[in-house]
Amino acid sequence: MLEIKNLNVKYPSTQGLLTVLDNINLRLEPGGKLGIVGESGSGKTSLALALMGLSPGKVEGSILYRGRELLSQSSDEWEKLRGETIAMVMQHSGEMLTPLIPLINQVSEAYLKKHSHGKDKAYRQAFHFLEKVGLPERFHRRLPYTLSGGEVQRALLAMALITDPELLILDEPVSSLDALSREEILKLLDELTVERTVLVISHDLSSVARLAERTSVLYCGTLLESGPTGALFQEPHHPYSRALVRSYPTIGGLKELQGIRGDFPPLAERPGGCPFHPRCTQAIEVCAREKPSPRHQDNGRVLSCHRGGVVELLRGEAISRRYLLEKGSGTNKQAAYLEAVKGVDVCLDEGEVYALVGESGSGKTTLGRVLAGIDRPEAGSVYFQGQDIQSLPAKDYKKTRRDLQMLFQNSGEALSHRLNVFELVEEPLIIQNEGSGQTRREAVYNALKWARLPVNDHFLQEYPHHLSGGELQRVAIARALVLEPRVLIADEPSASLDPSVQAKIIKLLLHLQNEKGFALFFITHDLALAARAGDRIGVMHSGRLVEEGPSAAIVQRPLHPYTRQLLQAAPTLGHWKLEAGAAYLPVTTGEAGHNGLCPYLNACPEAGQRCREGMPVLAETDNRKVACHLYD
Amino acid sequence: MHINYWAEVNKDKFGRAGLVMVILLVAIALLAPWLAPYNPWEYAGPPLSSPSWQHPLGTNDVGQDIWSELLYGTRTTLLISISAAAFSTLLGLILGLLAGIYRGVVERIILRLVDVMLVIPVFLIALLVAAYFKPGTTTLIILFSLLLWPPGTRIIWTRVLSIKNQEHFTSARQFGAGTFYLTWRHLIPELYPLLTVSFIQVVRRAVFMEAGLAFLGVFDPVAKSWGLMLHYAREFIFTGAWKWWLLPPALAVSFTITAFALVGYALEAVLDPRLRRQTYAGN
Repeated sequence: MLEIKNLNVKYPSTQGLLTVLDNINLRLEPGGKLGIVGESGSGKTSLALALMGLSPGKVEGSILYRGRELLSQSSDEWEKLRGETIAMVMQHSGEMLTPLIPLINQVSEAYLKKHSHGKDKAYRQAFHFLEKVGLPERFHRRLPYTLSGGEVQRALLAMALITDPELLILDEPVSSLDALSREEILKLLDELTVERTVLVISHDLSSVARLAERTSVLYCGTLLESGPTGALFQEPHHPYSRALVRSYPTIGGLKELQGIRGDFPPLAERPGGCPFHPRCTQAIEVCAREKPSPRHQDNGRVLSCHRGGVVELLRGEAISRRYLLEKGSGTNKQAAYLEAVKGVDVCLDEGEVYALVGESGSGKTTLGRVLAGIDRPEAGSVYFQGQDIQSLPAKDYKKTRRDLQMLFQNSGEALSHRLNVFELVEEPLIIQNEGSGQTRREAVYNALKWARLPVNDHFLQEYPHHLSGGELQRVAIARALVLEPRVLIADEPSASLDPSVQAKIIKLLLHLQNEKGFALFFITHDLALAARAGDRIGVMHSGRLVEEGPSAAIVQRPLHPYTRQLLQAAPTLGHWKLEAGAAYLPVTTGEAGHNGLCPYLNACPEAGQRCREGMPVLAETDNRKVACHLYD
Repeated sequence: MHINYWAEVNKDKFGRAGLVMVILLVAIALLAPWLAPYNPWEYAGPPLSSPSWQHPLGTNDVGQDIWSELLYGTRTTLLISISAAAFSTLLGLILGLLAGIYRGVVERIILRLVDVMLVIPVFLIALLVAAYFKPGTTTLIILFSLLLWPPGTRIIWTRVLSIKNQEHFTSARQFGAGTFYLTWRHLIPELYPLLTVSFIQVVRRAVFMEAGLAFLGVFDPVAKSWGLMLHYAREFIFTGAWKWWLLPPALAVSFTITAFALVGYALEAVLDPRLRRQTYAGN
């Protein structure tokens, strides 16, 4: 019904023409509902205005409405179109109403523009539509300035609907409303737009999620990603869409809110190439040079990214590692092993925080060390940016080490007592033959500043045993980040610290993760902490991954009995418990699946016949993966 | 663990005594030409004279001044024992590092070699080899260096294995550090205390072995050494000369061994926290 092809909008300014919309291509079928999301300044409203023929700038390209080219119309034709077929509910809605004319008069005026017959009819229609949007008769004669924001929004909606438009453009329909009025308006919009074609424009993701079937993400006048709304918000592919979803507060998410690193560029300084590249964590050289062309993916998604969306940085495939307990000798030839990790598949995306949870002895640290390339797995392989790190030639391996860093559990032990703070932070640079003395010094100072440590001679010359636990951890962080890695594997970075210092360290890590854009593999035994830190959570038990999924899903609705037990045991300060489920038996951490059965079998209150017959495998269920026979 | 060796050894009264004794010995060795009243290789007075003001410890059978011989003997003893200790500790360090770093076949060969060397009676081998060569100072240094490394090697090897498991080592490794860097910056510095103790133990053994070999006559006959003095004095044991000819070098040997032993024990106590706690509990 509506087809936008290569639409460009430029605004004149003292610096010449500034591009506001760059090569927009969109299709809207009759009855379709399209959402456009983006930060303020991304060009959303400019797009709406261009569609209404109200754009103050220079519009190029083509907008086809039912096969009719809109851009070549005269202003009279536009006027007619606006009155009859396209209606828009504007942003900052209060300003659209004349303050001194009663509401019903203003609503009926819109009707009169389209239909010339009789004021009475217009009045009746206005009455009808005001009732329909939930404004009963007592409101009809009120003056607009006596109405609340929600009531004004309803009135404007009535005004837009009274002309019975084919295409309804909603610009920030509910953004300025409180939660309850917003909910009511959204409900109303749901009902009223059933048969209509709707274009919703908003920075408020939840309203778009409610109203739109398809959503496009707009950034600096460029469409970066489009797709079915649910899938797009659930699993954004473009780094920008992901960052946008992450910044949006929802009640389900326990994760700390994060902004998008960097600042939104002013119109005059629109970056070339992919407009998002200065803020993107995975930008490569080509991103700054060329504009990515939109590529269609099989699941109805359209993506404009040179990297093909968020890339996978680190992948562990079928990782197993065991420790020798006892050598086989004499008559007893069988050597005894502890299977620390058994066949774990795990991956870490660019710029993501993955929290690995499990009790001590579940193999978390072993898995972390294998992923960091410190220990070799007995079986399976670790791929960093698609390359098997164990089979890299020595030179490339050393290079890889810059990008793959580990933060050790006990920073006191991980920092050599023979080096002072400066030498400790400089060490990675020396090992990597990085720069000269002067540039190294600057890099060390920067890293210390990132870790919020003082940069004075006194502190630089301190030795580890003179520092507090929190300071040690910060030095360890500075040391890990001085090479600016792509991946940081943090093994219980705060376990040995008291709560207030722990909170600071975790906040610092997450802040740096966001600012520097590295991917964080966060190992912890504390589910509460994991939920705060992780985009995704993996739960490990006896060397196996038993559940893995988005952290909100795992924490709100844990499926595996072990996860539920962890959640019950998670720290609370009140006397209440999250859920009074079945009583759990004490867990005996056995050897992983020693007899080919679920290792949790003996402790599981819900174990059934099937659990005594075979090992459950990790399978996709309900927006996550879980290894439990209950959900086969 | 930062160790201020001086402070730690000084804290222990036996250690302090040992330290004073070692310093005294080193001073004597360095200043021997000025301290000695005569050139010990030259005729200084009538042979076999008793102690007098001219000759505090009398003269030997060829008329050389025994006091001067004793002072010069310090030089030989310390030169041989300290050089031997330095070389054998270095050898032990290298072999211990090789075994600990490369493991596998290298490790097995070195450790079996250590086992064999520990079983062989070192003194006997030294005696046989030295008797064959009629050795001088250099030969003895080489011989001792080659014989006294095994205990140190084994200790260094175990320590290297344990350092390799420490997280600061792993941490440096995961920054991409190569073997050379790791050895130089993370292994060897951690081994300093151990090397010191091992060094002092070898000094002690070398002093004893040098004296023993010389006493049995397998040493350059014109060199000035306490063991040789004992060797020559033995023939005159029936005269009263033993009191000033035999006893002083014997006491000097004991003094030197005691000095290094005391320092060694004090250092070992520093390095072994269990011994340390006992000392503190006792205080």
